[in-house]
Amino acid sequence: MFKIKQALFLIFGITSFIIFYIGFLNYLKTQDSNMGLLILLFSVIVSVGTLLATFHVSKNLTKPIETLVQRMQDFSQTNIVTPNPCDDGGIQELHILHKNFEEMANKVGETLKKEKQLNIKLKEIDTRKTEFMSMISHELKTPIMPIMGYIQLLKKEELMGELNEKQMNALNEIAISTERLQKIIQDILTAQKIDLGKLSSEKENVQSRVLVENAYRAFYPYCKNKDVQLTMLLDTNDNVYSDPDRVSQVFSNLISNALAFLPEKNGTIKIGTLNNSDENVTFYVQDNGIGISDDQQKNIFKKFYQVDTSSKRKKEGSGLGLSICEGIIKNLGGRMWVKSTLNQGTTFFFDLPKAQVPVDHLDSLDKPSHSNHLAS
Amino acid sequence: MSKTLSKTKNQKSRLNILIIDDNEQITKLISSFLDMSNHDCTVVNDGKEGLELIKTNQFDSIILDLAMPEFDGYEIIDAIQKEDPLQMHKIIILTASSISIDIIQKFKNLGVSACLQKPIDIDQLLSSITDIAT
Ligand SMILES: Nc1ncnc2c1ncn2[C@@H]1O[C@H](COP(=O)(O)OP(=O)(O)O)[C@@H](O)[C@H]1O
Ligand SMILES: [Mg+2]
Repeated sequence: MFKIKQALFLIFGITSFIIFYIGFLNYLKTQDSNMGLLILLFSVIVSVGTLLATFHVSKNLTKPIETLVQRMQDFSQTNIVTPNPCDDGGIQELHILHKNFEEMANKVGETLKKEKQLNIKLKEIDTRKTEFMSMISHELKTPIMPIMGYIQLLKKEELMGELNEKQMNALNEIAISTERLQKIIQDILTAQKIDLGKLSSEKENVQSRVLVENAYRAFYPYCKNKDVQLTMLLDTNDNVYSDPDRVSQVFSNLISNALAFLPEKNGTIKIGTLNNSDENVTFYVQDNGIGISDDQQKNIFKKFYQVDTSSKRKKEGSGLGLSICEGIIKNLGGRMWVKSTLNQGTTFFFDLPKAQVPVDHLDSLDKPSHSNHLAS
Repeated sequence: MSKTLSKTKNQKSRLNILIIDDNEQITKLISSFLDMSNHDCTVVNDGKEGLELIKTNQFDSIILDLAMPEFDGYEIIDAIQKEDPLQMHKIIILTASSISIDIIQKFKNLGVSACLQKPIDIDQLLSSITDIAT
């Protein structure tokens, strides 16, 4: 790499030196000393002239290029087009180069500015969306509390008097819808906590069997009532380090989903554990329902996503269930995935980290026990 | 445990209850339920007023909402802990489900009698109240 200036000076320096050298040789060779001096003088003038011209050209040619380089550097650092500090030495091409650079840089700068503004706006919208969601769900939640309270109250015969059958039916319908509304609001709030990374969990060492049994016990009566065969299959009983309440929330979502998409007859649901690895216990909920196509499998974990079916399939729910499940499992240090074949069935899997083998019995050995202390 | 003592205590079946919640519909619900269950209720929808009443009156139990504008349940509990910690066991906290388990545990450690989650289970509320009185 070399600079234009250096190259110019090198070329014209050598040229002027050669001219001077030829003049000097001529001066030595000619007998006529006057003529020789004249030639020498001429050659000196020419070579000095060449050097001056080089200096001038280099200034006019290289200065604008150097300033252009500087302006480009400035622009790339600050996104601001600095004014041209020198004239372009009257060289047309360089003048155009500077003008073009300015135009281009101004456009780029404008685009960047717009993008920045857009980004700020998007962030604003996002926080406003979150605030709006929390406001809405809070505002919805507040009036539901007394509704649910009065439903309980109305069912208290000894306080409110006996309701006739029609009144009782109406009250039960109110109760069902209110509970559904309450669950949706609860789901929105949970999803929001997951979004904001504020989901809390209370982890403890717990047998994986207990987690499955809890889910089994919770759903067995309902399944029996609906003629659905619910079975439990345990491949391992290793301890996991997890939050039982959160895990039961996940099981409850998955089993509710399975129930919603079972065939009319011979519906079966299997829940259980697999011992696939040293680090994790894999849990699963399997059904023989309508299944989920490969395409849709990519989408179902997204918030508010429901597979579009114009058919008779039940379309209850908010589409939040699976996104909440995935959020909870991630929060507990695991991951979640699905395997499904259309019209044959679906299995949802999730991993939970196994509990570490407790080591506190080791250090309890070399500590003196309490009774010893008291005795001494 | 002497049986007669607990029996005499049990005899006071009509309890004097303070309800502090900014939501008027909730206070109305709870007070009408407790009223029907033959208890006496005092209702306030403002935290500051609630604290004043706690200081100047004797209640058998205090139902306290945590989230209230301006002067909230946390501040009331702070004040009671500083000024009259013996009243702490009378408090039944009503929490939104968004309250973390850590905070609930902290309240329990302070001596609060119960932390009930909204939506309210009115039977649970009633049994929490009678638990305090016995
Ligand atoms: N076991 C299942 N079998 C078939 N489709 C399912 C199953 N579980 C979930 N889906 C599909 O995934 C969608 C999203 O489920 P989810 O997030 O729980 O929302 P929701 O149950 O409220 O619709 C459901 O609407 C359904 O289309
Ligand atoms: Mg669901």
